[in-house]
Amino acid sequence: MKRPVLVRRHRPLRGGQPLAFAVGLILALAVGAVLLMAADHEPLRVYQRMFEKSLGDQNAWSLTLNRAVPLGLAGLAVAVAGSMGLWNIGAEGQILAGAIGAAWVARIGGTWPGPMLLTGMLVGAVIGGGLLALVPAMARARIGVNEIITTLMLNEIALRLLQWLIHGPWKDPDSYNFPLTPVLPAQAHLPTLFGRAHFGVIIAGAVILVFGIAASRTAWGYELRVAGSSADTARYAGISLKRKILTVLLLSGGVAGLAGGVELSGTADRLTEGISNGFGYAGIIVAALALMRPSGVAAVALLFGAVQVGGQSIQIIGVPASISTILQAFILFGAIGAGVFVRYSLRLVPTGVDASGEGGTAA
Amino acid sequence: MIGLLVATVSFGALLYLAALGELISEKAGVLNLGVEGMMAMGAVSAFMAAHQTGNPWIGLVVGILAGALTGLLHGWFTVVLGAEQVVSGLSLTILGLGFAAYMGKNVVGRPPGAVLAPVDWGPLTDIPWAGPVLFGQAPFVYLAVLVGIATWFVLSRTRAGLALRAAGESASTADAAGHSVVGLRLCAVGIGGGLAGASGAYLTLTLTPQWAEGITAGRGWIAVALVIFGAWRPGRAAVGALLFGGLLALKTRLQTFGVDFSPILLSMLPYVSTIAVLIAISVRARNRPSPAPAALGTAYRREER
Repeated sequence: MKRPVLVRRHRPLRGGQPLAFAVGLILALAVGAVLLMAADHEPLRVYQRMFEKSLGDQNAWSLTLNRAVPLGLAGLAVAVAGSMGLWNIGAEGQILAGAIGAAWVARIGGTWPGPMLLTGMLVGAVIGGGLLALVPAMARARIGVNEIITTLMLNEIALRLLQWLIHGPWKDPDSYNFPLTPVLPAQAHLPTLFGRAHFGVIIAGAVILVFGIAASRTAWGYELRVAGSSADTARYAGISLKRKILTVLLLSGGVAGLAGGVELSGTADRLTEGISNGFGYAGIIVAALALMRPSGVAAVALLFGAVQVGGQSIQIIGVPASISTILQAFILFGAIGAGVFVRYSLRLVPTGVDASGEGGTAA
Repeated sequence: MIGLLVATVSFGALLYLAALGELISEKAGVLNLGVEGMMAMGAVSAFMAAHQTGNPWIGLVVGILAGALTGLLHGWFTVVLGAEQVVSGLSLTILGLGFAAYMGKNVVGRPPGAVLAPVDWGPLTDIPWAGPVLFGQAPFVYLAVLVGIATWFVLSRTRAGLALRAAGESASTADAAGHSVVGLRLCAVGIGGGLAGASGAYLTLTLTPQWAEGITAGRGWIAVALVIFGAWRPGRAAVGALLFGGLLALKTRLQTFGVDFSPILLSMLPYVSTIAVLIAISVRARNRPSPAPAALGTAYRREER
């Protein structure tokens, strides 16, 4: 008798992650096809439409790029913290806080000239997101409170803060009692690049590029990775862990906050409850698929942007947009499943080699 | 006022069921942030099954099974394949919400096929105050109490519970003692999912007997918070469930009491207090051990121990 056992490879399979990603994509499309057929839709027709409406022409690309902006920034936020072994689960709340910060600047600076107002809004967004990350950052750096739960809880807190603002103090008096703020001033919109694509694409691209360089080419990025892999080594090398944790989580919050500001000034015309659309949670999947690397984040964000835009486009032919949510989750599950074999190989071991003979990691 | 107390117990049980599931899972060392998704799957499956068969009990069973199966997906990826628990759990939430929305597309807003009505305790229900609060409740409330007691008993008084806790505190020790860590953890995650599914079924079979996207409304996150608030103990979690349930109940009644305070801000309290408790635990942990299971969130591979 033999039993299967996962054995760690000496080094991960080369080119394994893109391969795992492809496996995830194929698995997701296969599962999606089954679900579509179960509801009497033709998978090929649906997928073709999703592809055409997200990547088929210039206009489709502009929509996909716009979607990739908040996904990429949220993914980057998670990845920045993740490269140091920290989990920022609070990107969703930080996006909302960023949007609140930007909207607040737009409220007080309604008469400012465009460039000044937009700059102010984006700065307000970064500060808003950073402020929301402040408590988890301080608690983690000073007394070692696990940041996973604190950032998670703050998502719900930020959502309720936003709800309170748009139901109460910031509510548009002419909204017929709908929870909305008044529309933003005309000059509070980011300029358009082509099609529907707005300037946020350049902002997000630049921010991701800067972090990519900082992470891989600077001493700061190197220290992050050292601190992430071994706290003891970091201490020995004279790296201040507390300061690193604090700055990284605040930066992470600020980047996510920026996503909220860009989303508000780029695609929305006012602050509503649905300003984020789950970008913060999707960003965690994006970062995980990208193995916490900024360059990967950009690529995965584009793909997810396309899936989301495609998902919206099929509603018109009667397919629920939730199919794109399912696709995204299955891309990740497929990729983590396949990713195991990038790091491990499957061996058949005779039973009885292990004295206890049961359990272990038999897969 | 009686209405408030009745609703407090009712909402408390809703949160408690899901929280107990998460507690069992975390006690075995598996953090499952997919509660919201498992609840949604339980809610939609229970509703559809009751809709089809007209029997609410079949709905309940189907809801529990749906939650358990969804949870076991997390178990497969994290326990068997060793994937990151945080990522897998959050994906499970996204998947569960999306899948439930897709499945339930045709029953949105439909009248329920069957509901689980309050249990009739006869004359007991007529006792002032205690009658409606304790004896006028839906079967789910009594289910929550029973599961709570069973969880406490099994975890702290039985060998199986000891093995399960060992898997969460020190997996290699549990392994060395001859227990299957994979088996124990999968079992815990499956039970956890089943309880989240039961909580979801409570929503669509009793509390708001219909299906709509987003019906779980963040209550799965409160369940995650409750486990920490209750310091991983079933008894304390019950107290927390009543507190948080009271807040949910109070939310819709503030205005009738003439209190001029935003119900939205009030609903922040569970999350704020959980952060406060977490900080307090960490401050105290300098002198005494943290109540969190030591191996929580880590994968176990025998070959690498």
